[in-house]
Amino acid sequence: MAKVTREMVERSGVNVDKLVELLVKNAAAELTTFYYYTILRVNLIGLQGEGLKEIAETARIEDRNHFEALVPRIYELGGSLPNSMKEFHDMSACPPANLPDSPNDVEGILKILVEAERCAVRGYTQICNMTAGKDHRTYDLALSILHEEIEHESWFSEFLGEGPSGHFLRRGETSPFVSKFLR
Amino acid sequence: MKIFTKEELSYFNGENGKPSYIAFEGKVYDVTKSFLWMGGKHQALHRAGEDLTDALKDAPHGSEFIKRFPMVGVLKD
Repeated sequence: MAKVTREMVERSGVNVDKLVELLVKNAAAELTTFYYYTILRVNLIGLQGEGLKEIAETARIEDRNHFEALVPRIYELGGSLPNSMKEFHDMSACPPANLPDSPNDVEGILKILVEAERCAVRGYTQICNMTAGKDHRTYDLALSILHEEIEHESWFSEFLGEGPSGHFLRRGETSPFVSKFLR
Repeated sequence: MKIFTKEELSYFNGENGKPSYIAFEGKVYDVTKSFLWMGGKHQALHRAGEDLTDALKDAPHGSEFIKRFPMVGVLKD
């Protein structure tokens, strides 16, 4: 634990225990989403599904990156991850992104993907709201993740016919916002 | 329709297998089956058995997320 780091956050008025719990829950959401997205991506096949595979893969890898980026902050603040993977799964901040009953239902998969991203956008917005002007490092991390989650939402939303995302696929490396926390 | 006092509502806190009920704008909703209310806790910040009308003002979602759950009663003032 980074003792003075935690003390500074506590002094700013943030309930650090609750913040850490939220970070752990969101780390669980990221890692479980990485797992569920693997299954969703595998099932994005055929004329409709193939076109979605690349953004699903990018979102999958970036969600894993988010997990990797969150873990050091959890420990810096005095938190820890549970020993049990099942416990970790069940404490996720977002529901499981299960494959639809019909694995060929591409629109159904898209709806699950977009809802998962929307859950993440809500979660990191909450963490940003809690930490803005108080816990600068967690805020920076949560905001960086939020940037990427918003892009994921807009990609999937575009395919659902909800309007243009306004941007293009990733060029080059994944996690343009979060990569600074992965060095 | 069952009428809950705040004390009665507090029993339904999701702990030890009890159902999880929450109140919002005078109505009581059953969130027991929600993944996001497992054990009567929601996002580390909220507990079942409470009136969350004020808390929702700071939440990153609207009341539609509460109103989708079964309504099981009303909360007495």
